[in-house]
Amino acid sequence: MLIMRHELLLIAITVILLLVEIFLPGDKKSRVITLAILLMTAVLILGFVPGPSGTLFGGMYQTTALISMLKNILNIGALIVMIQSADWLRKPENKEKISEYYILLLSTLIGMQYMLSSGDFLMFYLGLELATIPLAALAAFERFKEKSAEAGVKFIFSSALSSGILLYGLSMIYGTTGTLYFAEVGPAFTGTPLQVLGFIFFFAGMAFKISLVPFHLWTADVYEGAPVNISSYLSVVSKGAAAFILTILLFTVFSKIALMWSNVLYIIIILTITMGNLFAIRQQNLKRFLAFSSIAQAGFILLGIIGQSQYGMTTVIYFVLVYIFSNLGAFGVVSIISNRTGCETINDYDGLYRTNPRLAMMMMLSLFSLAGIPPVAGFFGKFFLFAAAANHGLYILVLIAIINTIISLYYYLLVIKAMFLNRSDRPIPKFKSDFYTSLGLILCLAGIFAVGIASTIFEAINGLSFGLY
Amino acid sequence: MFSNYIFYFLSALALYSSVMVLLSKKPIHSVLYLTLTFFAIGGHYILLNAQFLAIVHIIVYAGAIMVLFLFTVMLLNLNKEERSPKPIWVKAAAILAGIMLGLVLIGVFRGYDLRLIQHPMESQIGLVKELGKILYRDYMLPFEVSSILFLTAMVGAVLLGKKEQI
Amino acid sequence: MNALNSIPISYYLMFCSILFCIGVIGVLIKRNALVILMSIELMINSINLLLAAFSAYSNDPAGQIFVFFIMVVAAAEVAIGLAIIVLIYKTTHSIDIDVLNKLKW
Repeated sequence: MLIMRHELLLIAITVILLLVEIFLPGDKKSRVITLAILLMTAVLILGFVPGPSGTLFGGMYQTTALISMLKNILNIGALIVMIQSADWLRKPENKEKISEYYILLLSTLIGMQYMLSSGDFLMFYLGLELATIPLAALAAFERFKEKSAEAGVKFIFSSALSSGILLYGLSMIYGTTGTLYFAEVGPAFTGTPLQVLGFIFFFAGMAFKISLVPFHLWTADVYEGAPVNISSYLSVVSKGAAAFILTILLFTVFSKIALMWSNVLYIIIILTITMGNLFAIRQQNLKRFLAFSSIAQAGFILLGIIGQSQYGMTTVIYFVLVYIFSNLGAFGVVSIISNRTGCETINDYDGLYRTNPRLAMMMMLSLFSLAGIPPVAGFFGKFFLFAAAANHGLYILVLIAIINTIISLYYYLLVIKAMFLNRSDRPIPKFKSDFYTSLGLILCLAGIFAVGIASTIFEAINGLSFGLY
Repeated sequence: MFSNYIFYFLSALALYSSVMVLLSKKPIHSVLYLTLTFFAIGGHYILLNAQFLAIVHIIVYAGAIMVLFLFTVMLLNLNKEERSPKPIWVKAAAILAGIMLGLVLIGVFRGYDLRLIQHPMESQIGLVKELGKILYRDYMLPFEVSSILFLTAMVGAVLLGKKEQI
Repeated sequence: MNALNSIPISYYLMFCSILFCIGVIGVLIKRNALVILMSIELMINSINLLLAAFSAYSNDPAGQIFVFFIMVVAAAEVAIGLAIIVLIYKTTHSIDIDVLNKLKW
């Protein structure tokens, strides 16, 4: 019971929200926002209470201190997204759908947590689907906007296709090893041609979810069309969960063919970082811009995996934690401005500093963190990732990554220049953010600084993670 | 030997009708051919002595999913032919890609080592009794999680389907 | 009536690969969103049959349980997918995927 505490708590609050939705009179629906955020905060705090580890259901479900921590990280991201959506949900056209929004969001979180805790490919697949299918409904949340519906259809098609490919890989792995349990697949996975093909199919399916380059085409369209908060959830929590489970599976189940998958990763990292950056330069819409920047960041995440060491895994987790705060900070600003004014392009942001200095500062710090400029956490995240890859002797790869970091600096600075230096005839009018938006942004800001400065966080993660060698 | 002929017949039927799903101009014909494919695959399950799967397959696919498709086609009155098909070179490239994928798969499967499969006896695992025991003992957790999946799918479908009230 | 004794498993492997490829080709060449969804169902069916065959030949029930859950997930996926297709139809009066071009770089 206690072993599965994260998931059970989330299921409990989902059911509470479902019941509240049924019994709450129609004119008081907006109170659900406060309730949901309070409940999620409670879950987050309870999740940090140390609890037992172990396996359940004959190895179907497993948890360790590391996995609990990963779940807590996801909980943090989800909580911030829930806080940031409050302003958008208060709009009159969304008032009827508040509880549905939170229920779907929480159920995807449940799916991710089951996926992280799975000890079996069946459980992994179910968790993955539970984390994906409701997100399609959320992407199409603003139903009668053409863009939102289009984002939904693109998301559900690409995710259905990718899970089909992933399943084909799993069926080959099952056929050659005769089992679905991670613990038994690992030793039996010796790298016969059929197993390698199965692995490639599996990896392609996962690459769709993390949006690595040959499989990234859905990302920008879905991020642009979906509501801003869903895009931020997709880019941070969903991607983070998929990256975590990919790391764990590569290090445990597929450890015997590490030589092969590190070669695959090598090429994919270069492609992902470069393409993500080059396409980000030419974007005008900030959501698309952040989408391509998040593709590039996904490539950076893989740098830690290719390091194959305990240190590499630590850097992956640490980088995702930093990335959650920085990306949510940027998306938070985009979200509030998009809600209040409908402006989403970079030119609209001209002169933002003059009218809304706080938002402009927040955006600047988030973008600095994404780019990796020293005082903020993003610098340490990227630095450790590079160190992990360099420890493994991949100097050329690290060099390419550093060049790309410089390119990325260019386009992040374009946005900052627009906000601080450009003048505009029609700047975004001054407005006052509501309580929840400010709270969400303050949390991100605190995260950006605290995670970078407090080395104990890195040490704590390092104490729990594991690597190949 | 009799089962060999059934295998060939069902495979040919499934392949023919699945190709026809793609070749049909009207969506409703695609739906009907797809149903035929599903029945052929259901026959394959019976051939494999997986009776539980055969029944679930017919109920879920031919019963639920195809009815959903049919409803959508009827409800939206979509039974029109495709107006402007994709350009020929896109089709050619797609078919070429598909055939190459098929060749890779068949090539890999040809070298498949049959070591693991040495149970020529009658397989009894596909019967309802056996599978039920395993499903409710070892696979209890996935079973419960799939209930959450259905709940959220229902919430999602209701969310997408309900009328806008402003 | 039992295929296990007289039909080698490689026949099932071939059959399933061909069916899978037909599904992939369908996803690539069709423009009607409904037919694309059907092609994805075809792919998933070929995977199901493959898993069931592996499971039956190696006398291990895990594969058949997996198939059962894939069917469950496919049903949920189709429900959401069709709901979104209906939405698309309501906003654009077409389900041709080429009308989905509002989002482009």
